Amino acid sequence: MCDFSGRIVAWMDRELPDNEAADVERHVRACAECRSRVAAYEEASRAFVAYYDVVRGARKGRRLPYWVPVLSGAATAAAVLLLMFLPASVQQIPVRVQVAEVPSAVGLQTASAPVKRVHRRHVVAPVKTRNANWALAEPAIQIAIPAEAMFPPGAVPEGVNFIADLSIGADGSVQGLRLQP
Amino acid sequence: MSGDSLPLTLPLSRFATDSCEATTLYRELRKPLLRYLVCLGLSMDEAQDIVQDAFLSLHRHLASGGSQENIRSWLFRVAHNGARNRQHSYDRRFGTPLDPGIDSISDDATPEQVVLEKERFRRLGKAICLLTESERECLLLRSGGLRYREIGEVLGIPTSTVGDTVDRAIKKLAEKCNV
Repeated sequence: MCDFSGRIVAWMDRELPDNEAADVERHVRACAECRSRVAAYEEASRAFVAYYDVVRGARKGRRLPYWVPVLSGAATAAAVLLLMFLPASVQQIPVRVQVAEVPSAVGLQTASAPVKRVHRRHVVAPVKTRNANWALAEPAIQIAIPAEAMFPPGAVPEGVNFIADLSIGADGSVQGLRLQP
Repeated sequence: MSGDSLPLTLPLSRFATDSCEATTLYRELRKPLLRYLVCLGLSMDEAQDIVQDAFLSLHRHLASGGSQENIRSWLFRVAHNGARNRQHSYDRRFGTPLDPGIDSISDDATPEQVVLEKERFRRLGKAICLLTESERECLLLRSGGLRYREIGEVLGIPTSTVGDTVDRAIKKLAEKCNV
């Protein structure tokens, strides 16, 4: 291989010092093998650039598959229909238990079961609490939650427990949540 | 790169009007930066985000009295690092060349030309796959018009190493593509 072969690419890129560049240029003019190398390296450079031009063009022109908007529209329509018909399929929560039983149920809570639905009751009238400033027009659920499940250790004095009053709307959504000690 | 006349957002508008030199830099380097980032494998949206961030960083750099030397390589380095930071997809995207797609060939081509063109791209894609990450990045920056010294500043390697890497990469391509 020619001694100048290692400097041809740098000469093509005009990265050689002037005196070296002049030497290489003189040699390339005289050496057929190096002239063919120059042509090959120029073609390789052009091909590299052309390849990425095509790749960028393909990437820019790429559109979503036709089925994506169709599927999205169908999913949206299905969700709307489901929401429209969902309330009819929601069953009323059955009436079961009295509020008075909750405190004793709290006493039975263990640390390994942070939330336990103890009783459910159906109320027509609002729950009589100190801060009952919202009316329960719909069936309500009371859930006893141990204090250590909600607050860091030591944040709540011992023996204090909370009852969560949950109000469920006709559409199945939670209408109100109130914690009371 | 056509169809990417991104209007200047408010921060860049202020940046552009603050100095003619900054405006010139933006106009001169925005497209090469986008081209480089897309060729690395980023989507156009990601590339535009990174370019915007790079020019905002430049604005802060200049406003705080930072050096104005080698701004070109500075911008490419910021963009390159921004692209690298997207680690979750970097290896997947940057490791292999992008697929040019079969719709890249002209509709006027004859069937023989189509076959030859597809074969040429296949060999070229395979040859590019065989380049190392460093070789690919050096060639991409070189095709963006950067000098070896600037490429070295972007990639954090000596200028002599850039020269050797470019030389090796071009020879590999020439050999694998039978050019």
